[in-house]
Amino acid sequence: MSGIDKTIHEPARLRILTLLASVDVMDFSFLLMTLGLTKGNLSSHMDRLEKVGYIAVEKTFNGKVPHTQYKLTSDGRGALETYWRELDSIRQMVMPEVDASPVNNQADASDATS
Amino acid sequence: MAVPPKSGIELTDPRQIIRWSRQYAKSRTISFLVQWVIIVLMVLVVGAAGSLTNMAYQAHNMGLVILSVVLMGFMIMVLTWFSLSRWGSEVIAKITDWLYGEEGYVEYSGDRREGPAPLWLTALSGGLVVHHLVGAMLFSFAYMPLKMMQPFSACYMTPFLVMLILYQRLGLWAWIWPTLYGLHAVLLVMGFPIGFKGQWQLLNMVVPVLGYGFIAIMAGHLYSRFALYKLRQVAQAGLDRNAPMNDESLEQGQG
Repeated sequence: MSGIDKTIHEPARLRILTLLASVDVMDFSFLLMTLGLTKGNLSSHMDRLEKVGYIAVEKTFNGKVPHTQYKLTSDGRGALETYWRELDSIRQMVMPEVDASPVNNQADASDATS
Repeated sequence: MAVPPKSGIELTDPRQIIRWSRQYAKSRTISFLVQWVIIVLMVLVVGAAGSLTNMAYQAHNMGLVILSVVLMGFMIMVLTWFSLSRWGSEVIAKITDWLYGEEGYVEYSGDRREGPAPLWLTALSGGLVVHHLVGAMLFSFAYMPLKMMQPFSACYMTPFLVMLILYQRLGLWAWIWPTLYGLHAVLLVMGFPIGFKGQWQLLNMVVPVLGYGFIAIMAGHLYSRFALYKLRQVAQAGLDRNAPMNDESLEQGQG
């Protein structure tokens, strides 16, 4: 699994990146409410993703209330795309006879990374 | 909202996260709410001023006729100002915040057109105002009975809403408004007893505009609740919310 990006492979971060890849912008409150993580935990994940350049952070104020929103960067989008490709190649090696999509009639994951 | 944790490939499939986050973002009904508020205000203002003009005309009070026509023009100008001004957009932003503030902010423009509205859409919106003004005038000067105002309005409003929905690529819920509004007009013309009578006749205009738009918005809002529930379910499946960031083993592997 040397090709797998360990930053993305962590379950919470994979969900965060998938969420960010599916829309244009998302803020901290939405991620917190959607994922049900603790504030500290989510902050740590977001810091980590920002440090590797996968997400862009924009901090503003709504009156006196700080507002932090996130976007997936082109690096992050590329890394996520590569991650899915790597996983798919592993799956093909292990189970070549299995159809690539377990839920064929749902939105294709590649939508989010295109 | 409690989200029962479930396991299984469907719930952990990232495609489900993509699907439901987009469904949620698209069904936050704010843009439609804005249009609904503006259209409702326009129809109410024009309808009320038209009724006043009609009463003055029936009473042969020309001074009051002129006054109510001027009032109608003034109210249209106020409404136009509200629709275009920063203050109007701030009011809408506050409503948005009140409705969805605690859920946080999410934006998805993938299926919507970017940039300012095209000229044809602006012209159609202007046409909507003119059409209703003409209707109010026809009613005011007794060329058209009040019960025909809604069908007259639907002749323009229904295709206008359809164009708006197609242009903005809104969800199925948005079609409720033009469908019910058009159907109501057809039933009225066919003589079905669905109208208000006597002193309540003005409600024949008010109720369909206010009610059907509100039903559509509520349907969109309820669907957004469902989409959010599904999104939280798939996003939280198998995720330990209190788990520390234990990346050490991963870090070593990455080196």
